[in-house]
Amino acid sequence: MGYFAESFAELYNADGWIDMGMYIGSGSSAPGWWTVIASVMLIAVLAKGNADEQEHYK
Amino acid sequence: MEDQILALTAELAAVKSAAQVTNTMFAEAYYYLTIPLMVLIHAGFLLYEMGATRVKNVLSSGTKNLLAFAFTIITFYLFGWWFYWALPTFPYDLASGAGYMEISGIEYANAIALPWGDSAQYMGPNMADHASGVFWGAFALFAATTASIASGALIERIQTVGFVICAIVLGSFAWVVAAAWGWHADGWLVTEFGFHDFGAAGLVHAVAGFFALGILINLGPRVGKFNADGSANHIAGHNMPLTVTGLMLIIVGFFGFLMACIILPGEGWSWYADQGTTIYGTPMTLSALAFNVCLAASGGIIGAWVVTRDPFWMMSGCLAGIISVASGLDIYFGSTVIVIAMVAGMILKPCADWLEGFGIDDAVGCVTVHGTIGLFGVVMLGVLGSGAPGLGAFAPEDTVAISLFGQVVGAVVMFLLGFVPGYIVSWLVHKAGMLRIPESVQIKGLDAVKVPAQAYPESMVSPESDS
Repeated sequence: MGYFAESFAELYNADGWIDMGMYIGSGSSAPGWWTVIASVMLIAVLAKGNADEQEHYK
Repeated sequence: MEDQILALTAELAAVKSAAQVTNTMFAEAYYYLTIPLMVLIHAGFLLYEMGATRVKNVLSSGTKNLLAFAFTIITFYLFGWWFYWALPTFPYDLASGAGYMEISGIEYANAIALPWGDSAQYMGPNMADHASGVFWGAFALFAATTASIASGALIERIQTVGFVICAIVLGSFAWVVAAAWGWHADGWLVTEFGFHDFGAAGLVHAVAGFFALGILINLGPRVGKFNADGSANHIAGHNMPLTVTGLMLIIVGFFGFLMACIILPGEGWSWYADQGTTIYGTPMTLSALAFNVCLAASGGIIGAWVVTRDPFWMMSGCLAGIISVASGLDIYFGSTVIVIAMVAGMILKPCADWLEGFGIDDAVGCVTVHGTIGLFGVVMLGVLGSGAPGLGAFAPEDTVAISLFGQVVGAVVMFLLGFVPGYIVSWLVHKAGMLRIPESVQIKGLDAVKVPAQAYPESMVSPESDS
């Protein structure tokens, strides 16, 4: 889940920057879980938004 | 001597490497800068739509517009981008396999366009990848633009969340399918029919325009738009200068939109090492855009002025002028552009009036400007550009060229990809009670009912609110 590199040297080698994502959780299942969380939040926001909106129209 | 040759060889390699770095950084910056330019389209839509709204509904229209932008971009990240790469060969290939260029198909999309698993490395910060983010960003703004196009037609009576659901389907699915089929070198409309739509007249504008028509049929008109005898009343927006300025900002953003339609040379993903091209790999330059976009905008304004003398329709004509030639901006001559754009500007208002005669309340002329003129542009390219190559020199020799038949097929497909999903999703939203705002709320004003803010000082209220 954490950041995969501990030093600048680890990010950069003789051939250039490493050829992979350089974000927190790269190479792990973390991006997938963040995507699930974001998707659930989005659906929840729409559901709550609609409930509030229908209240306004009563 | 040998040492000198070795030194020169090393220097040459260093120069080539530096040149490649410059090219890569230029390409990255080029596409990156198209993104804020396209955000200007949304600034324009925001002003345009709020200006076309009555005072009592101004902020509600703004809220709806902002949410369309936000939700479309996020959902385009979550799944829209995947559809673009997965579907070019579908349904010709029901398994949606890779096309001739091998940059399409479900397997390819899974590898580069999903925000999880191994493909996540192309959906986030990656120092070895200078292309994915800027291409995704440009396409995300294309998506948001498409969703925002439909927004204006629906003002003052569509519910916010119901609209957002429709916008997501349009921006992150319907137009993406159109782009996969007709705006991709492996797209079946391109490879089988020679469909050509450089500036997205069909796959963005027509799809969005007819998607809006599908919604309008289920949504119905604003309260007070039509009389009992079927005649229409004009419902004026509260601020024409805001609307016209917004339209001009949309034109500014169009320059960014269209420059993002060019594939730059010299990169691993480029079609050629030394020439810019269209997305189809056919020749294209920014100079061509400079000639044709400026002339189209001007021709459209003049054409609409001839018929209407109305600044709203003149600026709508400006948009229509560009849309009418967008499919062939890469191959039209400047004077040809003037003629087509002027005709588009002239037919605009009569087409909008004709649609209104069917009881359709399109508040800003969206169906006509984007839908009708979009299809007009697609077909005009078939009339004038038949025989021109549809794909670059890399394509198989028997590749189909641009033709009237191919453009008509493309126009029909774009109409259906807009209208059918628009009608179906809005029908479902309507059945869920999430589409139309109750008439009592429309009469009272949407801002007073559901927006915790005030657009203008208390001294400036609308007559409708008072009543």
